[in-house]
Amino acid sequence: MKQSLYQNRKAQWAAYLAVFALLAMVPLYFDNPFVINQIARYTVMAMLAVSVSLVWGYGGILSLGQGLAFGLAGYGMAMTMQMQYQNPETDPIPSFMLTNELDYLPWLWEPFWSTPVGLFLTLAVPTAIFMGIGILMFQARVAGVFVAIMTLAILAAWYSMAYDMQPYTAGFNGISPPLPFQIFGYLIDPYGAPAFWICVAFLALLTCGAKFLMQSKFGLVVQSIRDDAERARFLGYNVAYYQVLLFTLSGFIAASAGLCWVMVVQYVSPTSLELSLSISAVVWAAVGGRLSLMGAILGAFLVNGIQSYMGDELQQIWMIILGFIFIGVVLFLPRGLIGVVEKIFSGKAATTDAKVIAQVREVA
Amino acid sequence: MSVNDFWTPFELYSFLNALFIGLSVASIWLVAALGLTIIYGTMGVINMAHGEFIMLGAFSTYVFQTQLGVPFIVCIPLAFIVVGLFGWVIERLLIRSLYNRPLDTLLATWGLSLILIQVVRLTFGAAPLYVAVPAWLDFQVDLEILHLSGLRLFIMVVAVLLVVLTWYLMYRTTWGIRVRAVMQDKEMAASFGINTDRVYSITFAYGAGLAGAAGAMFGALKTLFPDMGSGYIVEAFLVVVVGGIQLAGSVLSALILGQLNSIFSYFTNDTFARFVLFSLIVIFLRFRPQGLLTEGLKRR
Repeated sequence: MKQSLYQNRKAQWAAYLAVFALLAMVPLYFDNPFVINQIARYTVMAMLAVSVSLVWGYGGILSLGQGLAFGLAGYGMAMTMQMQYQNPETDPIPSFMLTNELDYLPWLWEPFWSTPVGLFLTLAVPTAIFMGIGILMFQARVAGVFVAIMTLAILAAWYSMAYDMQPYTAGFNGISPPLPFQIFGYLIDPYGAPAFWICVAFLALLTCGAKFLMQSKFGLVVQSIRDDAERARFLGYNVAYYQVLLFTLSGFIAASAGLCWVMVVQYVSPTSLELSLSISAVVWAAVGGRLSLMGAILGAFLVNGIQSYMGDELQQIWMIILGFIFIGVVLFLPRGLIGVVEKIFSGKAATTDAKVIAQVREVA
Repeated sequence: MSVNDFWTPFELYSFLNALFIGLSVASIWLVAALGLTIIYGTMGVINMAHGEFIMLGAFSTYVFQTQLGVPFIVCIPLAFIVVGLFGWVIERLLIRSLYNRPLDTLLATWGLSLILIQVVRLTFGAAPLYVAVPAWLDFQVDLEILHLSGLRLFIMVVAVLLVVLTWYLMYRTTWGIRVRAVMQDKEMAASFGINTDRVYSITFAYGAGLAGAAGAMFGALKTLFPDMGSGYIVEAFLVVVVGGIQLAGSVLSALILGQLNSIFSYFTNDTFARFVLFSLIVIFLRFRPQGLLTEGLKRR
């Protein structure tokens, strides 16, 4: 069968690079700092959606806990930024700790005096936690719905911790560092172009890296595990090893998103650990098309974009619209919007939706 | 919470009271999880909108009570019927086309829950509403080892009644035999002449109705908010999964989890207890994904 343009790898890479180049040019066309910040936020959300697409679309692992890596990294970044503001001599303790009757800096916070260590921990701790969770689950061959429920439980557990440990995390109020992130002596204004470009660079690098990996042998094995874990196991592949690695990688991407998020919003609170964010990320990936990283990015931009540019009257019923969109996508477009693009390019659908549904059935 | 008084020292009487509170928590989780057990157990549908079914039960109780002046005790079966009918419609329209795709039902029912929350918010406003507790339940048991409100005792009693009712329906009626046959092997049951579509829709309606009855009681226990359902859904799922997705398992796991929760809360505090409990559950599921009571099934 002749390969369609959609499946042509060179065309795919060209499309990816074109999209990222276009995205990077946004600050050249818009001067409005508000718009730039808004699009930087979408970019970060797209990163979170990519992490979902990787683990769910390619790995067949429905994780409802992607927000855990996102939120923990967010807290790490906020702690780093907060400690950049504190002065070791005159003002060593963040003010919210003092109002919570904590008159010393907890050991958990000590490493964040140093920005490089802080950044390292911001990415390393959530990634390590995801690796731990992955080992815990996949060594035991936990799959399908149980993964969803276990990740859900873990997320809920950490949410209540962040909420409750008020002297350490500022509880419900969250941490809002007084100054933007500072690196090499520069303050990175959340509303400026540099912050935007950092986010786009993260998204482009992580997405291209993930895409490269998914086209390698590793990626093919991962996809074969998604389609039939038992068969992959019989062929001699260590299924748990691949799943743990994939899950860890998705944790790393979600953590990067959390880091960038706090850089552009200068604030973190337990809401980033709420179930609704994690499921929303799944929604974005599903709407755009979870079987494609670009689809997930598209979905994140589209859903978030529509949400913020809808009029006030429509804002009221936005959740209702979102709910219907979501049900519609699940029922009628299991491949998401990118599936439509694929259909257009291949003329006759290479894989019909009926086939996909059968495939999805087997995965589940 | 201040840092210094994190650990509560042990004291017999208040500890015994904590055990009673644990029973009460267990009964609440059980009532919330009962409908989920039936729905998940019979048709493998992950109903993320279950919390919103509970919420609908609470709000319909509010409407019956304030608009029509129906007494509280009658509101519970009414909420059961209203939400049960609603569940029946949802099964016909939405769930029907998603059987055999459990992960997709999870997503679609999440979409449903978004819609329900917002529709209720637009209808009733975001201000908190209350279901009045009837006078005959408005008492407090104050013994040396036991401090519980009448309403919590009432919920315990209703929990037992609902479990007995469900047990009777599942194990002592023809309908129950059909449901269990479909549970074991859908194709085989169908080839013996059981109308599996009908079994599914009625079972789903019954599970939804149980959520409605739960909502009627939770509405009296707590404030009514459109998103109150999210406060029950995680616990309910964990009770179901730990129990092994069957009736007796859910009862046992609700009892164990409720007691553990209350004991951990006694020594530390509510949210830390939640953290410890959920972590323990995750570790437990790693070693026994089939749950407490179910024998090991085929592993995949």
